[in-house]
Amino acid sequence: MSKRQLAMVMDLNKCIGCQTCTVACKTQWTNRNGREYMYWNNVETYPGTGYPKNWMELGGGFDAAGDLQPGVIPNLEADYGVPWDYNYESLVTSSADHSHFQPHVSPTWGPNWDEDQGAGAFPQDNYFFYLPRICNHCTNPGCLSACPRDAIFKREEDGVVLVDLDRCQGYRYCIAGCPYKKIYFNPKISKSEKCILCFPRIEQGLPPACAQQCVGRIRFVGFLDDEESQVYKLVNKYKVAIGLRSDYGTQPNVYYVPPTESPAKFDAEGKIIEGSTRLPIEELEKLFGPAVHDSIKTLKAEMKKRKETGVSELMDILIAYQHADMFRLDNHYYQEVAKEHKRTPLAPVDTRYIAGKFTKAGGHH
Amino acid sequence: MNKLLTSILSLGFAASAALAANPAISAVKVTDDLTNVDGNSAVWAKAKYTTVNLYPQMAIEMNDKNANEANENNKAKAASVAALYDGKNIALSVKWLDKTKDVQAGYATTTYGDGFAIQFAGITKGAQPLPYIGMGSTGRPVVVHLQKANEKVYEPNGNGDVSTQLNRQQTGVFGKELAEYDAKVASLANKDYERVFVGEGFRSLTEIKDKSVKSNSSMSHDTKGWSGTLVRPLKDDYVNMSGTVPVAIAVWDGSKMGRNGVKNLSSWVAVNLEGQKPNAALVADLTTDAKGDAANGKVALETNGCNGCHQMSAADPKSFMAPSLKDVGGYSTASYLRESILKPSAVVVPGYNRNAHANTPWYNIEKGKRISTMTDFSHLDKKSVDDIVAYLQTLKAEVE
Repeated sequence: MSKRQLAMVMDLNKCIGCQTCTVACKTQWTNRNGREYMYWNNVETYPGTGYPKNWMELGGGFDAAGDLQPGVIPNLEADYGVPWDYNYESLVTSSADHSHFQPHVSPTWGPNWDEDQGAGAFPQDNYFFYLPRICNHCTNPGCLSACPRDAIFKREEDGVVLVDLDRCQGYRYCIAGCPYKKIYFNPKISKSEKCILCFPRIEQGLPPACAQQCVGRIRFVGFLDDEESQVYKLVNKYKVAIGLRSDYGTQPNVYYVPPTESPAKFDAEGKIIEGSTRLPIEELEKLFGPAVHDSIKTLKAEMKKRKETGVSELMDILIAYQHADMFRLDNHYYQEVAKEHKRTPLAPVDTRYIAGKFTKAGGHH
Repeated sequence: MNKLLTSILSLGFAASAALAANPAISAVKVTDDLTNVDGNSAVWAKAKYTTVNLYPQMAIEMNDKNANEANENNKAKAASVAALYDGKNIALSVKWLDKTKDVQAGYATTTYGDGFAIQFAGITKGAQPLPYIGMGSTGRPVVVHLQKANEKVYEPNGNGDVSTQLNRQQTGVFGKELAEYDAKVASLANKDYERVFVGEGFRSLTEIKDKSVKSNSSMSHDTKGWSGTLVRPLKDDYVNMSGTVPVAIAVWDGSKMGRNGVKNLSSWVAVNLEGQKPNAALVADLTTDAKGDAANGKVALETNGCNGCHQMSAADPKSFMAPSLKDVGGYSTASYLRESILKPSAVVVPGYNRNAHANTPWYNIEKGKRISTMTDFSHLDKKSVDDIVAYLQTLKAEVE
């Protein structure tokens, strides 16, 4: 158990599946050196096969007794999809007319392969929503439990789960052990790599790249013990944000506000069935467990309250008037940690996000 | 009748050969300089090959369904091992059967490369007891040379050549220039996966990156299997070889998703440097079976309840409470087995079994040390311990 836990909340009602977060993460961390195929952040269409393919059925995590479960390591080509190249040079150098633009392999799967496919019969009751996924920086990480070399650790100061690349020898137990399949194997350096929650940015007072770039303003970032943070309010005060697949027993620290709104169904005559909703609650239960009922109840009640009285703190938080309000980081805290370890604390890059539980009045150091 | 008798005799011989500890290997002294020797060098014609059995090591069930299925009912592999030395360096050659050539591909998470490792006991004051196989033990270090079959890949190599760490589409060059760029990247690509580690017990295995160990290993495959060679100095900061050198060999099979514990492993094997005085006690310890009555040992083991926690054979149900002992005789020395019975906390395999219940751990951590939950059996009389050790030494898979 780390001293403090950094957490993220994603409001699925606002995710438009634009993949800006995916690209922000990819260009920042994983665009080369064996990481070409990996997406530390991906947005998948749900219901769908996902990335890697069928990740929900590949095992890992813990059973009710707390025992780590066996898992399957996905296949790069079949389950993640190889990053394919195009024949640019033959287009430029070839004189033959029959040369045309084509990928160098026939792609069979990719991180956004079944985009907008969803489920249900079109047009009467088809549905889907977008599900952005990053490493959950679990309180009880399956990857950490599975590693025989102690190469995975959870940072004391903020609970970020990292791979010690010096100790990692690429055994890949962690991939089997993670139920979210959010740890990746770098075949070039034969080591495991994963989302680092942008800790070098966080420490300098900047939110993670995926969160800062998000055009839908769906992502909140803060410490779970910081009662002023919106993350705390969404997770602990209103209890509307719930972890993904908590049934795996890993205690994920990325929380989701479940989608509440979906259009009504059409009947055989093409008329709207009043009071119907296309998104089956069973689908949400599969992802978020039974807690999703209370969450949706609270969200609907607050929406109603807002309509009738004009006042709702929860709605104000979720609307996210100011992007900066969504992030309550704690630069002062990291500066203290640095001092404690006799390291040189770096000045914050951006002062808008630094307020935190331990930030003293009068600004940062 | 004669034929039948011969086959019965040969079966009997095979059975006793399978039970006997490994023979000593003779390292032939040569005048050639061994520094650049590899598998194809003519000097190997002078070597004397000895068969060493490598037993499947699956004491802790791993957390990968596919790998577990691929490794059910594994048998031991017979490897041919030879050694040469030139006064400065020692060269070892290992040949083992493996019909599938598996190379760690550049772009695959589900392919596993074949590989082998040769382990030496590090510098310690007394020769006995030898360090724990694989990881060494506190105060008794080991040096492990690992060679894996890897495909040629570009790996950032710390030389600052960041301009080649780009996708080829991002280079802004075409045609001939792009071909030149590709050739440059290929010339920088890292092919050899050779690593040297030093370990003093579980979780202390650390790669020696400062090039203070000047070794060279390689491996090549033909229709029958792999041959691997390793050359290293007889003496350096970590190892000091003379007389008799204890060596252990491990091989990984990529087609069985071999990695970490999923491997075949020998016990410590004595390598006698020809022309030097062998360490008679060490040779005797590694080449002769434990003194004791295995049949009595089996009874003593059952009456003392060892099989309540340990799995003794593949036919027994897996209890997961303690490491499986089904192949323990293949890769453990008698002195290690004796030590584990008398002082269970001397070497404790970390990482609770992934399928064991959390309420029944096989060790607890007290003041940073792993303390086994197994009670010590030092109250047993010497004969019973000898018998149990003799029985445990018979627990090993058949040779393929």
